[in-house]
Amino acid sequence: MTLLKLDHVDAYYGEAQILHDLSITVGRGERVAILGRNGVGKTTVVNACIGIARVRRGTISFGQKTPASIRHFTAARSGIAVVPQGRHIVPGLSVRENLLLGAAVGRKGPWNFDSVCALFPILRERAETPGTAMSGGQQQMLAIGRALMANPDLLVLDEPSEGLAPVIVDELGETLIKLGAGETSILLIEQNFSLVHAVAERYYVMSKGAVVEEGRLEGLTRESLKKHVAV
Amino acid sequence: MIQVINGLVYGSFLYLLAVGLVLIFGLRRVTNFAHGSLFMVGAYIAYAVAAYLGFWGGLVISVMVLAALGVLLDRFVFRPLAREDAVVTLLVTFGLLFVLEDAVRTIWGKDYLTVPPPPLLSGVIPMFGSTFPVYRLFVVAVALAVAAGLALWLRYSKVGLYVRAASVDPVTTGMQGVDTDRLSALVVAIGTGLAGLSGTIAGPLLALSPSMGAFIIIDCFVVVVTGGLSSFTGAFVAALLIGQVHNLGIVYVPELASMLPLAIMTLVLLLRPRGLAGAGR
Ligand SMILES: Nc1ncnc2c1ncn2[C@@H]1O[C@H](COP(=O)(O)OP(=O)(O)O)[C@@H](O)[C@H]1O
Ligand SMILES: [Mg+2]
Repeated sequence: MTLLKLDHVDAYYGEAQILHDLSITVGRGERVAILGRNGVGKTTVVNACIGIARVRRGTISFGQKTPASIRHFTAARSGIAVVPQGRHIVPGLSVRENLLLGAAVGRKGPWNFDSVCALFPILRERAETPGTAMSGGQQQMLAIGRALMANPDLLVLDEPSEGLAPVIVDELGETLIKLGAGETSILLIEQNFSLVHAVAERYYVMSKGAVVEEGRLEGLTRESLKKHVAV
Repeated sequence: MIQVINGLVYGSFLYLLAVGLVLIFGLRRVTNFAHGSLFMVGAYIAYAVAAYLGFWGGLVISVMVLAALGVLLDRFVFRPLAREDAVVTLLVTFGLLFVLEDAVRTIWGKDYLTVPPPPLLSGVIPMFGSTFPVYRLFVVAVALAVAAGLALWLRYSKVGLYVRAASVDPVTTGMQGVDTDRLSALVVAIGTGLAGLSGTIAGPLLALSPSMGAFIIIDCFVVVVTGGLSSFTGAFVAALLIGQVHNLGIVYVPELASMLPLAIMTLVLLLRPRGLAGAGR
């Protein structure tokens, strides 16, 4: 069963076309990566799914549904939670409140404040401090925790390793492997090859708003990637 | 001392209106220059309904009509305006102000109308060696109750959390599954409903005229800007402050009274460019 399917999508910001005839699918239980240099349109894939970039041709299906118009909340309500690039912790809200915001979609499942804090104990320790007062690595945990609070079928992470120290990236990888081994499917957008290698089983490479290569991760080496991605 | 309480009364009206402006600005980033005329419309609706259902009936109906008007305004005016320039917003909401004033002038005429306070609250009580109208204390109590109710709702309820989140980052809030358009409709309805409430309770204190909204809205904007634009606490403190300044000004330096609130605002902005509430909320 597919959880997310972009089918020949052209996506725009205003009159500027960013995605060209792009097709990507993520099935239940899969761990998929999207690789590509800065500016090729990786974030725009996410933005098309949450109604920030406009889809003018092609369709996006969330599970069984292919909505005619995509709103900011459409993906969340279909069980797709996004950890956005730059984390987007809401200023003025405490760590606890940022987590509770993630539960707004109201889906039932294993994740709640307690189970998220069991995964990331620091979030319980800092529960009452402002979310934006934490370090980058802690904010990334908060952003992932917030997405988990939605009890998603699919977790979409947009460059989660960006700005994090290497040891923190390793921890992040372990967390994602743990999550991916459970019920949660993962779509990981990354430029960090080792993280992709540790987490994903299938990949797409993007260039200039289009998919230029796809396959299973076994076949992908740093060398073959070099022409598309800074490794 | 009596003067201080009178300042509180004026501050109460300012708060009830300013908090509506803050709510609407928070979710729609729209500065609603028509807010004063909503206050005025609320006063007239209450006046009309009170003839049949008494003061309290007028109050309930006025708040409900204004809240419903808020839902329509959000859908057909503020939501489209949210994507527009501040100048467009200014022109449109200013236009709305004239439309509402004209409508009221056509229906009720431009003469001053007066509304008696409800019998229950029409007495005076002894206070600080003289007497004070109970009705004025009622106005202050209403404002305090609204302030406390709003603060608790925003701080402790789920929807209050979404409102706070959406007023700083609507996109991220929407991504979590919140329908921010429905949330805005609710929040704008609360804001305009409060304008109806303050218009209603202003009736027995101020004479009703189609221009009654225009004069109070200036002080309201002074309150909102002084308070820090999107801060509820800031608006509360600023309303109390401006209420006092306005009132003491009228008593002691009448020829400067209308300038004093602006002077205070300028002073606060010079010392704290982001208003009393500073950067946070
Ligand atoms: N909100 C926006 N409006 C207009 N253009 C944008 C916007 N966001 C990104 N772009 C442009 O779209 C292209 C793809 O950006 P993006 O999807 O963010 O790339 P990536 O995530 O792969 O680095 C870039 O050329 C960028 O300048
Ligand atoms: Mg990006």
